[in-house]
Amino acid sequence: MELQVLIELVVGGVVLGGLYALMAFAFSLVLATTHVLNVAHGAFMVLGAALSTLLVRHLHLPLAAGLGAVFGVFLVVGWVFESTLIRPLTGRPPAQVLVGSILATFGLAIAAEALVGFYWARAIEPQPIFALELGIRSIRIGSLVISGPRALVLAFSVLAIGLLHLFLTRTRLGKEARAVAQNPVGALVIGIEPARVARTVLTLSVASSALAGAFFVVAIPLNPYDGLRLTMVAFTVAAAGGIGNLPGALGAGVGLGIAEVLTGYWAGPVWSPVTYLLLLFAALLARPAELLRRLPR
Amino acid sequence: MRRAGPALLLVGLALAPWGLARDLATALLFTFLLVILASNYDLLGGYLGLYNLGQASFFGLGAYTTFLLLLRIPALAHLGPVAAVLTVLLGGVVAAMSAGLVAYPLLRLREASFAVGTFGLLLLLRLLVDNLPGLTGGSHGLYVPAQHYLSLRAAYWLLLGLAAGSVAMNWIVGRGRLGLAMLAIRESEAAAAAVGIDRFRVQQIAFVLGAFPTGLAGGVFGLHTGYIDVSVVLGIERSLLPVIAAMLGGSGTLWGPVLGSAILRGIDVALKNYLRLPIPATALYGAVLVLIALRMPQGILAHVRLRRAPRAAPARAPLSRPGHVEDVP
Repeated sequence: MELQVLIELVVGGVVLGGLYALMAFAFSLVLATTHVLNVAHGAFMVLGAALSTLLVRHLHLPLAAGLGAVFGVFLVVGWVFESTLIRPLTGRPPAQVLVGSILATFGLAIAAEALVGFYWARAIEPQPIFALELGIRSIRIGSLVISGPRALVLAFSVLAIGLLHLFLTRTRLGKEARAVAQNPVGALVIGIEPARVARTVLTLSVASSALAGAFFVVAIPLNPYDGLRLTMVAFTVAAAGGIGNLPGALGAGVGLGIAEVLTGYWAGPVWSPVTYLLLLFAALLARPAELLRRLPR
Repeated sequence: MRRAGPALLLVGLALAPWGLARDLATALLFTFLLVILASNYDLLGGYLGLYNLGQASFFGLGAYTTFLLLLRIPALAHLGPVAAVLTVLLGGVVAAMSAGLVAYPLLRLREASFAVGTFGLLLLLRLLVDNLPGLTGGSHGLYVPAQHYLSLRAAYWLLLGLAAGSVAMNWIVGRGRLGLAMLAIRESEAAAAAVGIDRFRVQQIAFVLGAFPTGLAGGVFGLHTGYIDVSVVLGIERSLLPVIAAMLGGSGTLWGPVLGSAILRGIDVALKNYLRLPIPATALYGAVLVLIALRMPQGILAHVRLRRAPRAAPARAPLSRPGHVEDVP
C-alpha cells in the first residue's frame, strides 16, 4: 500500500475518532456525575443530524444558522429531558438510578427513532438519510490532501473537546461537576447541589450530542435507526478510555476511528463495526467493574 | 381453584384455533412467542437480576441452525416430518450450548455491564449473519424447503406448548433449590457464597435453561414463516420486547411476563387492526418502557399487590410466589 493512501486513511480515522471521543466524553461525564446511563445519547445525535438536514438541505437555511438552531433547540430539549425523565429517578439508590435511567432512556431512544423514521419517510423521503453536502474546498498540505468537510469536522471536534476541557477546569460549574464525579458525598458536604450539576451536565450533553450529530453527517451519512449503534460506540470508547477520563476517551476514540477505517479498507466496509464490538468486549472483560466503581454502594 | 385456572386457560387456548378467525389465531401465536421469550428472559432478569438484552440471539441461533441443517443436508429430506422435529430440537440444543459457552465471559460482568455485553453479542451475531452470505444467505435470507413448512395450527400448538412449558419451567425452578439459590444470589452474592452457593454455576444453569425453549421457538417460528433473515429472527425489537413485557407485567413473578406479553401484543393488534393510528408500534413500546421506569419499576402485578396490601408488601421485588420457604431442606 502506498504511503499516501495510508496517510489519508489515518486522517479519516482521526476525524472519525475525534467525534467518537467527543461523544464518549459527554456520555461518560453524565454517567460519572449523575449515574445516568443515557441510552438515548446516540438518538440525540441522530435527532440533531435530522434537524440540521431538515433546516440546511430542505429549508435552505445558511449552515451557521442551521447549526446554531440545532444547538439552541436541543438546549431546550435537554432541559425538558432532564426534568421529565431523569429528575423523577433521583432519590433512588445509585444502582437503581442506573437501571431506571437505562430503561427510561432506552424507551425514549426507540420511540424517538421510530417516530423520526416513520414521519420522515412519510413526509420527506421514503428512504430517510441524514446528510449535509457542503461545497468546501479541499485543503492541501504538501502532497497531502484533506477534503474540506473532513477538515471542518476535525476542527469542530478539536474545538468542542477544548471547550469541554476549559469548562471542566476553569468554570465553577465544571469544577463542581468534577467534584461530584470524584466524590459525591464530599461534594455534598462542601455545599455543591447535585441537582443543579445534574441539570447542567445533562442539558449540555444533549445539546452537544445533537451538534456533534449535525457535524457527523457532514462526514458520514446517518439513518434514523443508527442511534443505538452510536450509543454503543460511545459506551465502548468510554469504557475503554475509563469513565470520566478525557485523555483516555481521546486516545480510545482516535484509536478506534483509525482501526475502523483500516478494517474497512482491508476487509470491506461491512466489517468495520466489528472493531468497536471487539473493543467493547475487551474493555468490559478487562475492567468488568468499571461502571460500578463510581457507584457508592 | 388456583390450580384449575391455568389448566382451564391452557385447554381453552388449545381449542381456540377451531373457533377463531385466522388473524386472531396469528395474533395469539405471536403472543405465545413473546411469552416464551419473556419467561425465558425473566429466569435471569427476574430471579437473578441479570438484564439480558440479547435474548433474541438464542432465538436466531435456533432458527438458523434449523434452516441450515434442513438446507445443507439433503439426506434429511427423506425423513419427512421427522427431519423438522430433529432439526428444531438441534436448534434448541445449539442455542443452549451457546448460552453455556458465552456464560463464561458474560457472567464476569455485572448489572449494566452485563446488559451492554449481551446486547453487544446480539449486534455481533447480526453482523456475522449479515456479512457471511455464503453461509447464512446474508441479507437475502433463507427459505425453508416446501415440504417442511409448518401450518398455522401446527405452529400455534407447538408455540402454545413451549409457552406453557416455559411458564411451568419458571414455576418448577422457583419452587426448588435452584430457585432459592437464584434468589439468594440476587439478594446478596456474598451471603449466598457464604452458605456454599456456586454463583457462576447457578447463573450458567439459568442461562442455559432460558436459552433452550427460546432456541426451539426460533426453529418452530422459522418453519412457520418459511423465511428468515436478520431482521426476522435477530431483530433488536425481538430482543427488547421480552424485557419490556417481563418488566411491564412484573419481573420475578410467575405470571408477570405472561401478562406483559398479552398487553404488548394487545397494543400491537389494536394499533394495526382497529385504531389505524399513524403511529409506529415501536414508539408506544418505548413509551411503555419510560412509564415502567418512572412509575412502576416493579411492574403491574407488584403494583396491584402493593396497592392492595401496603403493609405486608416486601420492600424489594416480590419473590416468585409465597410458599417456597418451605422448600428449605
